Amino acid sequence: MNSHTLLLLNSTIAQTLDYAAPILFAALCGVISENAGVVNIGLEGIMRFAAFFGVWGAAIAKNPWMGLLWGIALGIILGLMHGYITVKWAGDQIVSGIAINVMALGIGTYLLQAVFKTTGYSPPVPYFGAEVNRIHFAFLKHIPVLGAFSDLTFLVWLSLITVILIHFILYHTVLGLRIRAVGENPQAAETLGVNVFKIKWFAVITGSVSAALGGVALSLGTLSSFTNAMPMGKGFIGLAAMIFGKWTPFGALIASLIFAFAQVLQLLLQSTASGVAKMIPLGFYLSLPYFLTIGALIGVVGKAVAPAADGIPYKKEG
Amino acid sequence: MKNVLKRIIFGPKEKEKYWWINVLVPIIAILLALVVGAIFIKLTGRSPIVAYKLLFGTSGLLPGPYWKDHFAEMLLSTSMFVATGLSFAIAAKAGLFFIGAEGDFLVGGITATYFGYAKPFANMPTFIHLTIIFIFVIIMGGIWGAIAGYLKVKKGIHEVISTIMLNWIAVYLIEDWLVIGPMKANVKTGISGTPYVSNTARLPIILHGTRLNISIIIMIIVTYLIWFLLYRTTFGYEIRAMGYTLIYGMEAPKAGGVDIDKRMIQVTFLAGAVAALGGAFIVLGILFQYPPVFGGGYGFDGITVALIGQNEPLGIFLASMFIGGLRTGAAAVQLAHIPKTFPSIIEGITVAFIALQELIRYWLMKAATAKKKSYVKIQGGADE
Repeated sequence: MNSHTLLLLNSTIAQTLDYAAPILFAALCGVISENAGVVNIGLEGIMRFAAFFGVWGAAIAKNPWMGLLWGIALGIILGLMHGYITVKWAGDQIVSGIAINVMALGIGTYLLQAVFKTTGYSPPVPYFGAEVNRIHFAFLKHIPVLGAFSDLTFLVWLSLITVILIHFILYHTVLGLRIRAVGENPQAAETLGVNVFKIKWFAVITGSVSAALGGVALSLGTLSSFTNAMPMGKGFIGLAAMIFGKWTPFGALIASLIFAFAQVLQLLLQSTASGVAKMIPLGFYLSLPYFLTIGALIGVVGKAVAPAADGIPYKKEG
Repeated sequence: MKNVLKRIIFGPKEKEKYWWINVLVPIIAILLALVVGAIFIKLTGRSPIVAYKLLFGTSGLLPGPYWKDHFAEMLLSTSMFVATGLSFAIAAKAGLFFIGAEGDFLVGGITATYFGYAKPFANMPTFIHLTIIFIFVIIMGGIWGAIAGYLKVKKGIHEVISTIMLNWIAVYLIEDWLVIGPMKANVKTGISGTPYVSNTARLPIILHGTRLNISIIIMIIVTYLIWFLLYRTTFGYEIRAMGYTLIYGMEAPKAGGVDIDKRMIQVTFLAGAVAALGGAFIVLGILFQYPPVFGGGYGFDGITVALIGQNEPLGIFLASMFIGGLRTGAAAVQLAHIPKTFPSIIEGITVAFIALQELIRYWLMKAATAKKKSYVKIQGGADE
């Protein structure tokens, strides 16, 4: 393998991982929360909130880690709100999620103007993609495939670790068994002495924090500012990735990678197009990832089945 | 005679005991949201009173200076919110979480544009021309919506995934292919985007001196038709049965002989067609062409509208007027140094309180039963 193709291969993989991180965090939010039976469609809004507050925190402390903390704090607050509505008051989960999304739209723009006195973009702030903040493994650099992991941001690593962590919790701990039991049949779980409400609260808040990390990955990952268009449907794509991945962490990982790769491929094709390929209109390249997603679902994956009690508000009998 | 007519239009009467709670829930949610919104403005160091005065003074919902203009603008956007709101609600009644209104809206817009300027149609009389346009808008929007239904029924793809993907595909194929390619306006004319639609394709104005056109009348009729379809036809009964039994896998309607697959495709067709009307309205009544960047959002606003309107056609119409008013007044709040996206904060908080309706209902129920008890005591009657 000559050095040029090696570089291309490694950088394509690295780019894919970079692009996948926010989607993956969003998908994992869905995985953990829906396995406990709570749909969180508000992850798009949570990402927007966290993307903004991440930048705000980083701007004040001149440090991306503070941004990360602010993002996580926002995730917890929004998780508490979603939990209060859907778990405490057994409200409609979809409605609560939409509420978060709509509020994020308005409050994001409002605060962008109030805090940074700008409309489209926030000014650049210290971010995880900066050379000093990246995680370097110089010895991997010239190995095919593994070389992609030689120069990634902290958030990309964190997204991959979170997949393993959530997989471990869900399938190898008592807590995970309880979460899944609550998502499948809360009445039965209650009879066996599981505190359904506690489990749901836990799942909703953990999930929101994951979505918030996705938001931080958007604004402080490879970019260094908040743009008003964020998160541009990435939350919903994450939701799709979760369903695609059949509500499992590794399924979500694969789905996010497929989607991210389609995006990178699309950019690659666009930039290297020559001859006949140049005649293909831009719109076809841009819509390729979405066609591929539908195609992959038709071709490969069978019917996706949600946890049995997913989306159904739980009320105690009597 | 009057009663016969009433029965034909509204059907036999059925009344719930605490029906007024259903009406009060959205109203209380809106009021609470306004209070929270005021606190939010106060916290960021601006005056909520000034802001609300500007917002509602120019919203068209309340009489005031230049009321006619604001009123017209408010109804103009109302008709588009009703379109996407009904689209979401019809599918929701059938137990589908259909968020494809955004894409259907764009498909409706581009279809209306094409048939609005394309040669063989461009010189027909207005009535015939508009009829042809709307037939194609309904067909194209319906087909775009029905793809999601087809994929769900035949391939088992969740409607959330397919509609999200279809939304993006619609955006890119329209804005980065059709509008800059086959449907591009002649360079010499200096127009960016598509050519303008012919005069015969513009929606007739109904309030002189404003932009208010027949779209609002069309939507009043459509709202009634959807209500009739949902509550007075077998089709409506069947899809509501599907929605009610969603969590039990729709076993009951299946056993009752409802062709669920067919109904789902029909429902998504209908949802797509109704949302596409909104796109046609914005092209034929406001923009008169398909601009390079559409700057949508009406599709997702439709979800908000449907939720505030509790998925009921009449409720959606009223909620659309409220949201339409907020959007009309939005430009004015900038005078109070508040971004014009402020109304979406109010909308979001309203939806949050709608989600909290269990709590509101609990309060109202408590208030209702408390009143009754004291009444019984005064009467000296037996309790229980």
